[in-house]
Amino acid sequence: MITAAQQSGDIIRKASKATVVLQCFAVLLLLGLVFLFADISRKYSALQDGIRENALWSVYQLDREARRLHETLHIMLVENDLTPERIKALGTRYDILYSRMNILDKTSFETKFKLDAAVAEQVTAIRDAVFGRSAVFDRLAAGDPVDPVQLETADSEFERLVENTEKLLLYTNSTVSIERAEARDAVLDLQMKSAGLVALLVCCVVFLILTLRRQLKSVQLAGLSLEAISNQLKESYLAAEAGNRAKSQFMATMGHEIRTPLNAILGTAELLELSPLPPSVAPGLQTIRRSGQALLEIINEILDFAKSEHGKLDVETRAVDVRAVVTATVEMVRDRATEHGNRIALELPISFTTPVISSDPTRLRQVLLNLLSNAIKFTSEGTVTLRVLEIGDPQDAQLRFEIEDTGIGIDGEGLGKLFQPFSQVDASISRKYGGTGLGLTICKQIVEALSGTIGVNSRKGEGSIFWFVIPANPAEKGLVDALAAKAAPQQFQSWNILLVEDNVINQQVAAGFLAHLGQLVTIANDGLEAVKLTETTRFDLVLMDMQMPRLDGIEATKQIRASNGFSRNAPIIAMTANASDDDRRLCEEAGMTGFQSKPVSMHQLRGIIGSLEAAAETAVEPVQSPSIDNAFETRRLEIVEALGEETFDELLSSFFEDASLLLTDLHSALAVNDHRHTDHLLHTLKGAASSVGLQDVADRSQDLRHASITETVLADLEDTVTRYRQLLVA
Amino acid sequence: MINRIMIAAVIVAGALLPLQATALDLPKGKVVLTVTGTKLDHPNVGGKAQFDMPMLEALAGRTGEMETPWTEGVVKFSGPLLRSVLEAAGAHGTKLKVIALNDYAADLPMEDATSLDTMLATRMDGKLMSVRDKGPLFLVYPFDKDQGLFNEKYFSRSVWQIKDIEVTE
Repeated sequence: MITAAQQSGDIIRKASKATVVLQCFAVLLLLGLVFLFADISRKYSALQDGIRENALWSVYQLDREARRLHETLHIMLVENDLTPERIKALGTRYDILYSRMNILDKTSFETKFKLDAAVAEQVTAIRDAVFGRSAVFDRLAAGDPVDPVQLETADSEFERLVENTEKLLLYTNSTVSIERAEARDAVLDLQMKSAGLVALLVCCVVFLILTLRRQLKSVQLAGLSLEAISNQLKESYLAAEAGNRAKSQFMATMGHEIRTPLNAILGTAELLELSPLPPSVAPGLQTIRRSGQALLEIINEILDFAKSEHGKLDVETRAVDVRAVVTATVEMVRDRATEHGNRIALELPISFTTPVISSDPTRLRQVLLNLLSNAIKFTSEGTVTLRVLEIGDPQDAQLRFEIEDTGIGIDGEGLGKLFQPFSQVDASISRKYGGTGLGLTICKQIVEALSGTIGVNSRKGEGSIFWFVIPANPAEKGLVDALAAKAAPQQFQSWNILLVEDNVINQQVAAGFLAHLGQLVTIANDGLEAVKLTETTRFDLVLMDMQMPRLDGIEATKQIRASNGFSRNAPIIAMTANASDDDRRLCEEAGMTGFQSKPVSMHQLRGIIGSLEAAAETAVEPVQSPSIDNAFETRRLEIVEALGEETFDELLSSFFEDASLLLTDLHSALAVNDHRHTDHLLHTLKGAASSVGLQDVADRSQDLRHASITETVLADLEDTVTRYRQLLVA
Repeated sequence: MINRIMIAAVIVAGALLPLQATALDLPKGKVVLTVTGTKLDHPNVGGKAQFDMPMLEALAGRTGEMETPWTEGVVKFSGPLLRSVLEAAGAHGTKLKVIALNDYAADLPMEDATSLDTMLATRMDGKLMSVRDKGPLFLVYPFDKDQGLFNEKYFSRSVWQIKDIEVTE
């Protein structure tokens, strides 16, 4: 292929050389033509200048008139006829000769006739002879008496004149002949020159045609071979592309396959850490978890890189609560920072102009995590600061994130290598600190995918500031990331949660986490089981895996939402390993509330439950008809199990009696402003409500202890209790 | 009726006009030019038209300044136009034969007289020309008006010392 390409190149190069030669030739030809034209026009103008009287004719006429004059005079003398008529005729003859002489003197001839010295000499002799006699003829014309002697002298002189004119005539004839021959030669020369140039022209045109033909042919050949090469290249490219695709596919599959067991390992380790462990085992378990975490990060990086290399780096634009994302991310790395002896600081504006922006929270968190992890990794006993700044105009608002550390820093040479795939500042870095060298490359690609820019300022030994700027467009309403919704409190009330998950290990891990968080967990092995369970039981939350046998998460969600079951309105959060835009859209369409990427960690679960609690709080805000919530149901089941149904009913009715008494007391206490007594009464009410599972009443009583209590809110509480009584006792 | 008579009279008068052509006056001085032809409308002497210098100079003519091969520098020629001379003689024909004192003759087409302002120059630089100086008449083509005439063809027709012009069919 390379040889063919070279050949084509050679052909084209040769052709262009030939073109250059042709161009030179054409220029020469043009010059020749110009010269020829100049020559012809010069000759022509010479010809124009040469339009003159014929010298030979004039000399002939002179000779002729001289002879006629001599003849006339001679006859007159011989015949001795000197009548006035003859004398007059003789005068005319002389006048004509005189005029002929004048003509010869004054006329410009076509040849260099007059420049000839011999001619000049002869003409002078003739002129003297003619003009010398003018006095005699003037006298004759004036009618003076004729002197025969003078005429005799003139006659003999004219005889010599005639000889001279004849000599001049002959000489002129030969001169003119020579000149004519020369002129013919000159014309011939010109003709030869023209012929030569025309011949050259013909040669040139023939050469031109031949070269053009050859050139056309070779260019055609080159074109064909180039086309062939381009086809080959296309095939090779497609083959390479297919290979690359297969490689990426393999990496994706392998990554997924590795991640699943790894998640199990990590989850199990985390669970084990939560239980009391003998001191000999605890450090080992921590090592397992940390190594697993590191391995997971490496695999994620490689998978991301494989995706980005394939141009498939997904960016999903959603509503992002910047403060929540940043806070959560810092919390995620706080432990690690502490391990390195680093202090971690978060600098945020007091209030954001655009608190919720339209961006990709997962990717944003990924970049922040990566940069923070790096900063922590390369800093010991220092400070890592995450700074968020709002910059730019209101129309073109931007967010600038800065991650500053007091670590080892990077020199100028190293800065150039950053953001390049598989490159670290130097080889010793990877030995000392580890890492794939892909993190910053991925960060760069993500930031660019988010229409932002990334960069670094650093000085060796003085630490670094990694920064990135992304557009801060205000978000439209949509699914807010489950994790980012709210910083989670550490203690939760107990919710009734349905975990839909087919993988046994994942079940165990997630159920373990939830149990640890004090939640009640029911497990469904697939979608069908989940749908059945939701029909008969009221759940506060459904965690739904996406890929399951028999009935997948999307379909199960649709059926739950469409059913008439107890949990048809419960929040459903999807759990999936690969969260693409399409998946997200499908989830939303199916009626899911939120979205959680797998593996689900303790941290994430904490966030989800936190948001559930937050939602419940806001939901209670307006006065609404009380409902039998999960807490009540759970408590009821507990008591029924331990003491039986009847006892529970008794407990409940006695609670309502106590409550009405307590409320009456509260009214009187409030009337006299006895705060201590009010607080005591509220405390009692809260405890009583809790014991029968009326968490709502308990919470509100508790809230009132800290708020300024009024007759209105007390009436409100009383109203709520009354409604519960109607609902439960009736 | 009266109208008709008048129209007839006009027609008759129009038809008679060419016949009323008057003959040339007789030359009073020395005859310098004789025009002969098979058909002359206004002959004055024995079927020929003869002109003396005042007769010629009275005819419509022109003056032109020009260079010729036979003169030095720019020369001013003046004299009657050839066609006015021919008209005065009432000559008709297609060819002219211009004959000089030395019997030199040149044939020229009638067009040279009708379509070109060819003159029979009587004066050069305002002076009458002697025989010694190409006089008395010199056929001068309008070289000043048309450079295309400046070639051997017209040079050979430029006859001087003219004495006769023969007009032939």
